[in-house]
Amino acid sequence: MYDFIRGQLISIAFVIFILGLIFQLIQFFKLTRKKEWVYPPLEIKSEKKSARRWVGFCLASLNGTLWKTDPLMTIMTSVFHVFLIVVPIFLLGHNILLDQSWGLGLWSLPESITDVLTVVVLICVAFFLARRLFLARVRAITTLYDYVILLIALAPFLTGYFAYHQWFNYDTVMTLHILAGELMLITIPFTKLGHMLFFFLYRFLIGNEYSFAKGARAW
Amino acid sequence: MENSMPNQGVKPVDTKQIKEMLNRKKGKMKRYLSHCAHCSLCAESCFLYMEHHKDPQYMPSYKAIHSLGKLYRKRGKVDRKLLTEMKGIVWKNCVLCGRCYCPIGIHIPGMIAFARSILRSQDVYPQLDEVSSESWL
Repeated sequence: MYDFIRGQLISIAFVIFILGLIFQLIQFFKLTRKKEWVYPPLEIKSEKKSARRWVGFCLASLNGTLWKTDPLMTIMTSVFHVFLIVVPIFLLGHNILLDQSWGLGLWSLPESITDVLTVVVLICVAFFLARRLFLARVRAITTLYDYVILLIALAPFLTGYFAYHQWFNYDTVMTLHILAGELMLITIPFTKLGHMLFFFLYRFLIGNEYSFAKGARAW
Repeated sequence: MENSMPNQGVKPVDTKQIKEMLNRKKGKMKRYLSHCAHCSLCAESCFLYMEHHKDPQYMPSYKAIHSLGKLYRKRGKVDRKLLTEMKGIVWKNCVLCGRCYCPIGIHIPGMIAFARSILRSQDVYPQLDEVSSESWL
């Protein structure tokens, strides 16, 4: 069991993760089609702007976004999502393992930095949990499933932090860390964590008033 | 004679028809429902939510989850009482102005409009021309 979690299950998780995302992508393109009429994209004049004017333009654009209505959540969710991806990919320990197995490793961040960033992710999760527990509007649409998903997102970081600092029994914590990572990979394509892929499909490909791009597809 | 037919004129809920309608748009709607992160960031984009002292019942995601979400969860097996409850959510609590904003890109008005279509197929809709505006719910 121990060897299975640390060996075969890693490959199985990655295969399910990749094939699951490909399956979802194919389904999405099957369910949507290119339409003749596309939602008129925002006209952005290509005039040259000075750096100062460009910064002013960007800051002014923020007024129409969530930054205006919920700045704290906007910061927390942006930071959380960036580090959720960055930390595991550029983690030294992961890249050493990758180098040992396949002979390739990405550039790594110093361990002291990833350690701090992990704490930042954990703080963000604590913030999301507090919102779920104490904000009436979030509580109104929260079910047990939301807590389970939050736990799935939290577990790899919490166990990873424990493993790095060698708290509790190292072998047990490391096995739990690997298991948590595998569970997250497997659940991404089939649960609401699927917004990792569908965020881009919905916001860039589907024609909508709030599209980031032209959005030439329709359901 | 009248007592033996208390619901005369009200046809029974056609759960088969509801199921067929739900299946027709299953690919899109179930994905939307499944990818909703339940973050509540859509709340402030709804003027009715703001006007009702931020009552969560007026939040766009709440309205979609408690109408279309419920229909999918129950696989269309719903009774008239539940459909009537949903009538209030999708007609009174939402005017389909289309201003709701979802950071993930879920098209909430499309979900509420679809819930309305299903309700309408079962003759559940506000009849503003027949009853006073205060009692249509």
